Amino acid sequence: MKTVEHPREPERADPAIIRKAQSGDERAFAQLVQQYESIVYSFAYKVCRDKEKAEEAWQDTFVNVFRKLKQFDGKSKFSTWLYSIVVNNCLMRHRRSKLELATVPIDFPDGFHEHPDTDSEGHVVQTIASWKDTPIDSLMNSELRTLLNNAIKKLPVDYRVVFVLRDIEGQSAEEVSRMLKLSIPAVKSRLRRARVFLREQLNEYMTS
Amino acid sequence: MKLKKIDCLDVAKHVCGDLDEHIDSEECRAIRKHLESCPNCTAYLDSLKKTVLIYQHIPSPRFPKRSRKKLFAKLKIKA
Repeated sequence: MKTVEHPREPERADPAIIRKAQSGDERAFAQLVQQYESIVYSFAYKVCRDKEKAEEAWQDTFVNVFRKLKQFDGKSKFSTWLYSIVVNNCLMRHRRSKLELATVPIDFPDGFHEHPDTDSEGHVVQTIASWKDTPIDSLMNSELRTLLNNAIKKLPVDYRVVFVLRDIEGQSAEEVSRMLKLSIPAVKSRLRRARVFLREQLNEYMTS
Repeated sequence: MKLKKIDCLDVAKHVCGDLDEHIDSEECRAIRKHLESCPNCTAYLDSLKKTVLIYQHIPSPRFPKRSRKKLFAKLKIKA
C-alpha cells in the first residue's frame, strides 16, 4: 500500500450547493462529489477490504446520489444521508458475492470468569492477560497489518459495518441506527460483539 | 449514595457496549469502582480500547482520481 490516508469528514455541505445540485446544476453536483469523494472511498474500502470492490461501491454510490438527490430533505446531515447510501451499496455488493455466517460466536474473552478466583487475601486473581503498552506507530508492522486485515475480513459484514461506522468513523449510535434501520440496542449489541471478536483475533499477538 | 453492585459479567456487557460513553451515569460510576479491585476487567477494558485504537490506525489507500472521471463520463457531466 503506497500511501496512508485518513480522510476526515468534510465541513458540512453548503445547503446552497445542495439546493443547486438538486435543481440540476452539474457544477454544484461535481463540487459535492469532490467534497465527499475521499471519505466515501475510504469508508467503502474499510467495509469491503478490497480496492476494486470499494471503487465499484463508490461509483454506485454517486450514481445513486445523482439520481436520488432530490429526495434529500435536509433533516439529517448530508454526510449521514450519504453514508446510508454507501452502506447499502457495500452490503448489497457483499451479499451478492458471498453468503456468510450472520452471527459472531464470541461473547466473552478467553480467561473470563463470571465469578473470578481470589487469593488468600481476597484479591482477584488475574486470568485475562494484559496487552502490550507499545505505542501503536511502533506496533504497525506488516505482520500486524495482515493480522488486522484477516481479522476484519472474518467479521461478518453486518457487524463490520457497525464497527466501522461507530468506532472508526465516529458516527453516533443514533445515526447508525437510522442508517441501518436497526434499533439502538441492536446497534450496541453488534458493536459489542464486533469489538470482542476483533479483540480475540488480536489477543495472542498482543500478549505474546 | 450507595453504588449499585456490579460484577464482571455486568462490566463485560456494559463497558463493552459503551466504552467511554455515559461516563457519569450510575452504572459507569459503579463500573469504575469495580475496576479498582478487578485486574481482569481492567485488562479487558484496556484491551478493548487498544483494539479500537489499532483499527483506527489502519491506513486506507488514496482515492483513485480516475474514478471521478469515470463517474462524470457515465453521468454525462461536464465538470
